[in-house]
Amino acid sequence: MQNSRELNSFPIAPIHKTKLSGAGFLIVEDLKDIKPSELSKETGIDLEESLEIITLVLGGDGDQKASKPTVSALDILHLENASPYIITFSEQVDSMLGGGVPLRKVTEFCGSPGIGKTQMCMQLAVDVQIPEAFGGMGGEAVYIDTEGSFIIERLVDIAKATVQHCHNIASENQEPDMLKVMGQFTMESVLSRIHYFRCHDYVELLSNVHLLPKFLKEHPTVKLVVVDSVAFHFRHDFDDMSLRTRLLTSMAQSFIQLATDSSLAVVLTNQMTTKVQQGESSRLIPALGESWGHASTIRVILYWEGKQRWAWLYKSPSQREAVVPYQITTGGIRDVVSSKLESDEEGEAPAKRQRTS
Amino acid sequence: MCSIDVLDLHPRIIAAVKKARWKKLDNVLTLSLPDLERATGLSQGDVLILKTAVAEHVPKLPGVTALSIWRGEVPGELQLRKLTTGCRLLDHALRGGIISRGITEVAGESASGKTQFCLQLSLTAQLPVSQGGLHGGAAYVCTEDVFPNKRLQQMIQSFPKRVTPPLKQPVRFGDNIFIEHVSDMEGLSECIRVKLPILLSKGRVQLVIVDSVAALFRCEYEMGEMVQRAKRLSSLAAQLHQLSYQYNIPVVCVNQVTASMKNEGRKLIPALGLTWSNQVTSRLMLSRTNQSVRVDGHTETIVRQFEVLFAPHLPRSQVPYIIDQEGVKGWSEQF
Repeated sequence: MQNSRELNSFPIAPIHKTKLSGAGFLIVEDLKDIKPSELSKETGIDLEESLEIITLVLGGDGDQKASKPTVSALDILHLENASPYIITFSEQVDSMLGGGVPLRKVTEFCGSPGIGKTQMCMQLAVDVQIPEAFGGMGGEAVYIDTEGSFIIERLVDIAKATVQHCHNIASENQEPDMLKVMGQFTMESVLSRIHYFRCHDYVELLSNVHLLPKFLKEHPTVKLVVVDSVAFHFRHDFDDMSLRTRLLTSMAQSFIQLATDSSLAVVLTNQMTTKVQQGESSRLIPALGESWGHASTIRVILYWEGKQRWAWLYKSPSQREAVVPYQITTGGIRDVVSSKLESDEEGEAPAKRQRTS
Repeated sequence: MCSIDVLDLHPRIIAAVKKARWKKLDNVLTLSLPDLERATGLSQGDVLILKTAVAEHVPKLPGVTALSIWRGEVPGELQLRKLTTGCRLLDHALRGGIISRGITEVAGESASGKTQFCLQLSLTAQLPVSQGGLHGGAAYVCTEDVFPNKRLQQMIQSFPKRVTPPLKQPVRFGDNIFIEHVSDMEGLSECIRVKLPILLSKGRVQLVIVDSVAALFRCEYEMGEMVQRAKRLSSLAAQLHQLSYQYNIPVVCVNQVTASMKNEGRKLIPALGLTWSNQVTSRLMLSRTNQSVRVDGHTETIVRQFEVLFAPHLPRSQVPYIIDQEGVKGWSEQF
């Protein structure tokens, strides 16, 4: 639309035209970013009419509900084969997931506190930005933090290690493509492409989730949405369990819609809870109840066994159930390497996470 | 949340919402679109506009990029503050100190130095920001024992000497510690809901210590009331979280330990179970060892262990420490 088109050329009642021009509204540009109430105040046109004028002039978003054409399974297969995965930097976890965290799907990481859910989220938020020359997807990330566990210096650690890793690959291979993009792939650029939202209660979370599609329209390169954690605000002061279930289901629905519509990966984290069964010993299960279990397409449970961290693929439509070990180093999520390989990797992640005895 | 009138909506929508007589506008967000249509009698498009307008109107922090957080160009609530422990070695293990995010738990068996550690924090909080403090007092909620005032006075006496560089202005350390004794759940909950916000909103208090959360929860509930206990516990934790983010202050909670039933691994684990653990942001553990050392050539003191069990920004690590006249100090062979 032409921003310089005169308001006089619109089919507006003459009396309103006079009021508009009297208040200084002459061209389309003038009506941009103005609220109906403000317009009504300035011009003296009543609220209902000002709203109509604005909708008329700025066009509104009319074509929201264009129905999607049906696609065949073959098309989807091609689409899925072509779409890249977000790697976790642990080869074993990646191959367990079939290549990494997939786009167009909702992936949930569950685990007890301190197991590394937040670390996994930060790692993915950085890895989604790896440039295409390195086999990444050069996307952006949205990080919704409900627990307040997003500590910037930890993200900087992981971002630095990832950039360094790519830098090493580039200088080893001496490929011009890689060296060229390395100039723009720095710790600062990584940080600048992670959009952080902090939610203090579930109402804020709901409103942020509701506004996400709009945000994604403005930032079309976002390829990953992280919610760390979904459970936090839904696990206290909720007496009305049916309300909780309803909210969770509708939120899950919006995540699925988000993932398919904008073809991005949604990563959620969840807490664990104890299930006590009569006649059996109690065991740990993901929180938020049975119905939430359907929310995610892929569910990974992280747990300790002795001093080792394990990732267990619990639910997946395409991969079989598997358990693999992983570790967390200063640089982020990594494979557990045998002692022989450890010295080789040292250059990449020099400060190994200190093991407690 | 405020009324519907402030939203820029078509008068038709506003009238329909008023007709629905909701107590809070939150309902617009919690209901699904079809439910909203039914409740208001509006069309699908109108309902979507209504919901978006309400969502935009929910007071919340704006989305920011990680880079602007790193550079500190964000609203104060998002900036991380750190409280020094008063000891270089412990600060190193904590990457600078206790963070102003969520709940920091200090767990440990009895006589492992939990209260000593907290007393020291209530002093370091009063240091100027340039010296790792928060430039404010501390609110100390006691549930377990009478506040160890004598010990505090003793620490205050030697504390200015430990601070490097020396303080430019003398601080009256004793005047800025607000002590509250509570002996039951109602008292604690009221203290957090009513009394602490008053202190905090005046800005004089920059640190909240609850010593301890375990005492009340472990005695007031029987085995059969576990579900109720879990509910109470998570709602208490939520209140503490709220204090932490609202005023951007560290909240330190002392916890007891319990013996793990499983025969593998660690024998002592922090008490109160998974419900509480899920709410803890950083978990520190204090314990005693069998070693002892001579400090300053005369008094013999036991070596204790300071351990980071988990924190979003810290690796697991252990630091030996000792407690002497002056307070809590990290200990290494070089000294």
